[in-house]
Amino acid sequence: MNRVINYLLDVVRGVLFYFSQTKLRTALTLLGITVGVSSIIAIMTVLATFEKSTEQVVADVRTNVFYITRENPIEVSFGNNNKWARNKPKITWSEYEQLKRSLKLTKNMSAVVAEEPSDRTFSVGKKEFKSRLQSFWAADGDMLSLYKYDIVDGRNIQNVDIQNRSRVAIIGSAIKDELFPYANPVGKEIKIDNIPFEIIALTDEKGEIAGQSMDSMVGIPISTYLKYFGGRWNRTDLQLVLESDSIENIENATDEAIGVFRAIRKIPPGQPNNFYIATNDQLMDTFGEFTSYLTTFIGLITGISLLVAGIGIANIMLVSLNERIKEIGIRKALGARRSDIFMQFLIEAILISVLGGLVGIVLGLSFGNIVALFLEQEPVIPYEWVLYSLQICASMGIIFGLYPAIKASKLNPIDSMRFD
Amino acid sequence: MTKSRKEIIGIKSVSKIYNLGNTVVKALDNVSLSIFENDFISIMGPSGSGKSTLMNIIGCLDVPTKGSYKFNDEKISQMKDSQLADIRNQKIGFVFQTFNLLPKLNALQNVEVPLVYSNLNRYKRTEKAKEALKIVGLSNRINHKPNELSGGQRQRVAIARALVNNPSIILADEPTGNLDSKSGSEILNFFDDLHKAGNTLIIVTHEKTVAKRAKRRIEIFDGKITLDE
Ligand SMILES: Nc1ncnc2c1ncn2[C@@H]1O[C@H](COP(=O)(O)OP(=O)(O)OP(=O)(O)O)[C@@H](O)[C@H]1O
Ligand SMILES: [Mg+2]
Repeated sequence: MNRVINYLLDVVRGVLFYFSQTKLRTALTLLGITVGVSSIIAIMTVLATFEKSTEQVVADVRTNVFYITRENPIEVSFGNNNKWARNKPKITWSEYEQLKRSLKLTKNMSAVVAEEPSDRTFSVGKKEFKSRLQSFWAADGDMLSLYKYDIVDGRNIQNVDIQNRSRVAIIGSAIKDELFPYANPVGKEIKIDNIPFEIIALTDEKGEIAGQSMDSMVGIPISTYLKYFGGRWNRTDLQLVLESDSIENIENATDEAIGVFRAIRKIPPGQPNNFYIATNDQLMDTFGEFTSYLTTFIGLITGISLLVAGIGIANIMLVSLNERIKEIGIRKALGARRSDIFMQFLIEAILISVLGGLVGIVLGLSFGNIVALFLEQEPVIPYEWVLYSLQICASMGIIFGLYPAIKASKLNPIDSMRFD
Repeated sequence: MTKSRKEIIGIKSVSKIYNLGNTVVKALDNVSLSIFENDFISIMGPSGSGKSTLMNIIGCLDVPTKGSYKFNDEKISQMKDSQLADIRNQKIGFVFQTFNLLPKLNALQNVEVPLVYSNLNRYKRTEKAKEALKIVGLSNRINHKPNELSGGQRQRVAIARALVNNPSIILADEPTGNLDSKSGSEILNFFDDLHKAGNTLIIVTHEKTVAKRAKRRIEIFDGKITLDE
């Protein structure tokens, strides 16, 4: 045993010495592996961060909530909408009112219109909100508590506002910061597409989630929205937000809602729903599906980039092939057995590629976590990808590093010494 | 006297033929040769006559196209790679005509290479390698790489490397070709000592003075042995 360890130490020492003698070649080989691995790790770190932050968004919203929309919002926002989904009818105000009257298991229900982002103008006096507003929404229920906003100053939208179609608005802190930098906005006037609204509340600062400001937001009563911005009543596509009385009851409440809504739309049995209904869990699943596609896709791309790096390595190794074969010939002439040669080249190949891999992993993790830092997320380490990269590196090193050894082992010492 | 000594190398009707497309080169043509323990042989012959080819076959570095080669009564063709490696490592010290030093290693490391494959620890190795370099008069150049050495100095590193493992058979392909007469004769004196100590030596040379030191002289012409006395 001692002899084996002694021998292995010798080989490692020899290999490290060899690296020090071929600095440029070693550096280039390392570079190839490092680039490949760091790109994998960086992308995977960013992806893991992204996944974590969206989980947080959904978890922020209460879980006894479910939605009825025209189509799957996640599929639509990722450009996956098919024709059939586009042909689904919009959800109308009268459908909403019928549904509200019939549902027994749903405690709370509100209709929401959301322009995300909104291209309308928001101005105070002559001053206009410069960037695009992230969210202009209108609702008839308690949107604020649903999305966990707190009112810093002022009052929430009330039933009277909905009945009277009052021109009142709630604004997020980004609007205040830009349009009312020094004054309290509550009670002041804001114009939306030149229609004056009274500001009734300012919400607390929520910061960014997944790169989107949660404070670039304006909300008004839904009835007011339909009157001033909705065009013809049945033209506006509503999103319905429903809340069952408890988390345990959410499935029954969803089933009831599906049944009633099908009855309202007179969908014959056997036909599919022409609307989309989802709980937060389902939204999460859809998102998970999407990210897993993305992971596969990115994995493929980085796999290819690693392969290209591998070809680079192979190239460098092949350039030195003749020299190496000569070296192998000399060593064999002086008494190296085939197994000695294999050991030397194997360890050398693994050392160089794993070394390159480790540098790549460190670089990739740093880069990925810098991105995580910008997204205000906790640091992540995609362990499995670290493992995969090391495996890929080691096998690449073995494949490309052992080639000259295999080639030379088939020659007798004289022929390899003459090789050029 | 010859009869009482053991035959260590037995070559029978060996040919080495290179087939280069339309020309066929017979580097060795039906050569038979017996080498006995403690022989001191010189091999002479014009350039291209097959001297190096013969040496390579004797040294187990090359295999004949035809014929049989027995080393210590064992057929080379039936030996495993590891057995051949051990013979090259333990039994034979080879001084190559073209030195064949490893360019990245310094003189000391080059001389240590055969010891690496004989399971000596590092300190023993360095000690023995330094000793061998001292014998060839290169103690002051142990950290030089081959390209920082003169031709004669490289040749002496190659000789030190061949001797470092105390092999019983020394094969030297023009070992003094690049040396001045003084350091050349120092090496030859050392070879004499080795012979007296019981080793077997085979030396390829162009110089009559070198050949005269040998106890047995062989001449080769066109791949055939023309003289053996
Ligand atoms: N690998 C090879 N392929 C083809 N021909 C070869 C090869 N090796 C040697 N030869 C030929 O075999 C012949 C003998 O070569 P060898 O090297 O044994 O000569 P030598 O007697 O050592 O000559 P020198 O004194 O110049 O070293 C030469 O004609 C050479 O061209
Ligand atoms: Mg020769």
